[in-house]
Amino acid sequence: MTTLQLKNINKYFGSGSSRVHVLKDINFTAKKGEVNLVLGPSGSGKSTFLTIAGGLQTPTEGSVELEGQALKSLSNKQRDALRLNKIGFVLQAYNLIPYLTVKEQFKLVTKVKKEHNLDDKTLDSLMDQLGITDLENKYPGELSGGQNQRVAIARALFTKPDIILADEPTAALDSERVAEVGKIFQTLAKEQNTAVVVVTHDLRLINFADNVYEIMDGNMSLNNSLKAG
Amino acid sequence: MFLSLKEIKKEKFRYGLIVAMIVMICYLIFILTSLAMGLSSQNTDAIDSWNMKSIVLDKDSNTSLSQSLITKDQRKNIKLTKNEALIGQASVVAKKSGYAKESSQFLGLSKKQFISKNLVLTSGHKINSNHQIVVDEKFKTDGYKLGDKLNLNSDKTKYTIVGFVKNAKLNIAPVIYGDITAWQSIKNLNGQFTGSAIVSKNANFKANNEQLETYSTSTFISKLPGYSAQNSTFIFMIGFLMVISLIVIAVFLYILTIQKLQNYAVLRAQGIPAKTLVGATISQSIILVIGGLLIGTILTAATALIIPTSIPMSFDIPILSSVGIGLILTGLIGALIPIKLILNVDPVSVIGG
Repeated sequence: MTTLQLKNINKYFGSGSSRVHVLKDINFTAKKGEVNLVLGPSGSGKSTFLTIAGGLQTPTEGSVELEGQALKSLSNKQRDALRLNKIGFVLQAYNLIPYLTVKEQFKLVTKVKKEHNLDDKTLDSLMDQLGITDLENKYPGELSGGQNQRVAIARALFTKPDIILADEPTAALDSERVAEVGKIFQTLAKEQNTAVVVVTHDLRLINFADNVYEIMDGNMSLNNSLKAG
Repeated sequence: MFLSLKEIKKEKFRYGLIVAMIVMICYLIFILTSLAMGLSSQNTDAIDSWNMKSIVLDKDSNTSLSQSLITKDQRKNIKLTKNEALIGQASVVAKKSGYAKESSQFLGLSKKQFISKNLVLTSGHKINSNHQIVVDEKFKTDGYKLGDKLNLNSDKTKYTIVGFVKNAKLNIAPVIYGDITAWQSIKNLNGQFTGSAIVSKNANFKANNEQLETYSTSTFISKLPGYSAQNSTFIFMIGFLMVISLIVIAVFLYILTIQKLQNYAVLRAQGIPAKTLVGATISQSIILVIGGLLIGTILTAATALIIPTSIPMSFDIPILSSVGIGLILTGLIGALIPIKLILNVDPVSVIGG
């Protein structure tokens, strides 16, 4: 079942002679139960793609639908609610609040979204799986880059989102942790029927993906042949 | 509130410095206000204790008690009730060998009229003869005691202190209450003059004499020498201090908010509503200002306990509360200034390129 659909997306920045065509006629579908990997180097447009998919930016042309709902028609407040309730963002950096302990990062969410979050048992299990159980009373500043990233993943999954949008989620992780994160995304997709979209240049995640896309100079193409390699 | 409290808990030193700054501002404003109130009340303590509503003075006295004289002829047709009292004022220097000279305000009273009747003594008794006086407690502070005899100006008569009264000050000088006939003697007046003024508890009291004029208490007080200029100076000082406080607090809160924009961008990307972040910023500002205010109040109260009585300070709770509320509003305004930054924070800025 389709969760996210981007149709004929074009995005331009700037105007006149400095106008840049960042995304070129992108068509993309993310289905529940699948992990989608979008590979591309820096400046290829993958972050712009992610922000448009998550309703943080609007495309110059084309439409974005999440669970059949066109994002264009939503007010800012409705987009906030959508991101809080249906999308789990895993960001590359600055993704945890420095003055909240790991435990409080989750508590903040429950202050705003009071229901339909992970129960304590499932959260404990997830934290155990991510190897961050003992860190719950620590501040982000007391954690390593990898630990921070794993907490950020747990934070994104806490709201039981319909879709996970991850921006370089394994940038600071060693290969062992990359494999764990890849497995978590796989498990999440298969067992909780969640759609996962990961934009990255980390090739170590390829084997955990159902679909591999390549984005280059604003053009996106499906390239599952990379998986075999 | 959750975010604001957690941030204060984590960044104790940073927020401690901000609270310390607010404490200093509160303390300074409270002390200045108390000094202004104290000085102001030293001008009017005696008048306030009479509960008067109006005063009759010589029309040509320029609303000045010391320049006013009421003649017997003028007084003759004025009917004084229990709500009126005649007073005779003279600026005097009280002298006693071995004691400090006291520049004072002598007020001659009639024993049968309300001011004399209503005097509340802290010790001693009211006057029984025209050579007895009741004096402000400033005299006691300077070493004078009941039974001491002193001279007033060059008058050869010795006046005996028979009682002390608290908060009896007029124009910052301690008041000496004596008999109206003693006033005539001190002023070297012949029997032609009966007093300086008639005070009344009735706001509409009229003297029915074209040479005399009735003034409201507030008009009379505003014309006390130096009173308005002194109060205006303090009001401007406190006003400017409040404005400067607003600017300082606003700048601090603005810088704090700018430092947090990256975090707010993350939270906005995660769908945390802008109103939650605005609420956190405002509640944090209010917590900081109220915290500073409480500590500033405690410091002010401690100062009030240890400050020498010779320094005129008056801690008027309603006025200090108003100042406190003013500071909270100042903090609130300071917090509202960077709100636009929070509302416009761009969550895209935290998604890498």
